Amino acid sequence: MSKTMLPYVLLALGGVLISSISQVMLKKSAGKQYESLLAEYLNPLVFFAYVLFVAATLASTIAYKEVPLSMGPILDATGYIYVTLFGVTIFHERLDRRKLLALCIIILGIVVYAFGV
Amino acid sequence: MASPSQNKPSAGVMVLLHALLMVFSLSGITSKLAAQHPFLSWGFIFYYGLMVVILGVYAIGWQQVIKRMPLTTAYANRAVTVVWGIVWGALIFHEHISWQKVLGAAIVLVGVALYAIADHSAPEGTQEDPS
Repeated sequence: MSKTMLPYVLLALGGVLISSISQVMLKKSAGKQYESLLAEYLNPLVFFAYVLFVAATLASTIAYKEVPLSMGPILDATGYIYVTLFGVTIFHERLDRRKLLALCIIILGIVVYAFGV
Repeated sequence: MASPSQNKPSAGVMVLLHALLMVFSLSGITSKLAAQHPFLSWGFIFYYGLMVVILGVYAIGWQQVIKRMPLTTAYANRAVTVVWGIVWGALIFHEHISWQKVLGAAIVLVGVALYAIADHSAPEGTQEDPS
């Protein structure tokens, strides 16, 4: 991987993290009771979640200036790491051993891929 | 989230899922095309807008697909977007395909599929959307 590409790869990874945070906010919102359908969609939590989602798509688009298209879905796979992390820390989900193994395989794949760029 | 059908999906639904995942992969192409234009130029806005439209179509289609098949099957198959990334990258943007890239992508693909399968057998209410 070239030195010029690295900041853009980091931007893409940051975009995936922001997107995962946005997902957490939407899930938090989905677990709440709202007075009306309008309040369910137009509340600060959901609004900010969509702002973050737009920011995430902008980050990944700007990252594509240098990041190859073929690398995009590979970097997107890091979303599984964040979702697992947030699931365990925020939603108190049980950490499945097989999920942990799957995450290790995903990370290994990303590292192997990065050596080929 | 509504409980998805646990029945084995029909061939038609699988074709629909893969057509949808192919459409989703097009959002990468439009995103990459947007990146080739100056930020917030008309070219950038056009391709970025097209990407948003594709993501919207995908979101609507995804809701329909997961009504007709187990969520796990849908998520495990989503790993195919890694393959589409390599195909579009090589065909449209003339990106070099090396054996390390193919091997890395294959390992990621296996990891994503395993994650989806592990998620399926996890306790109720722990399934996540990692997108």
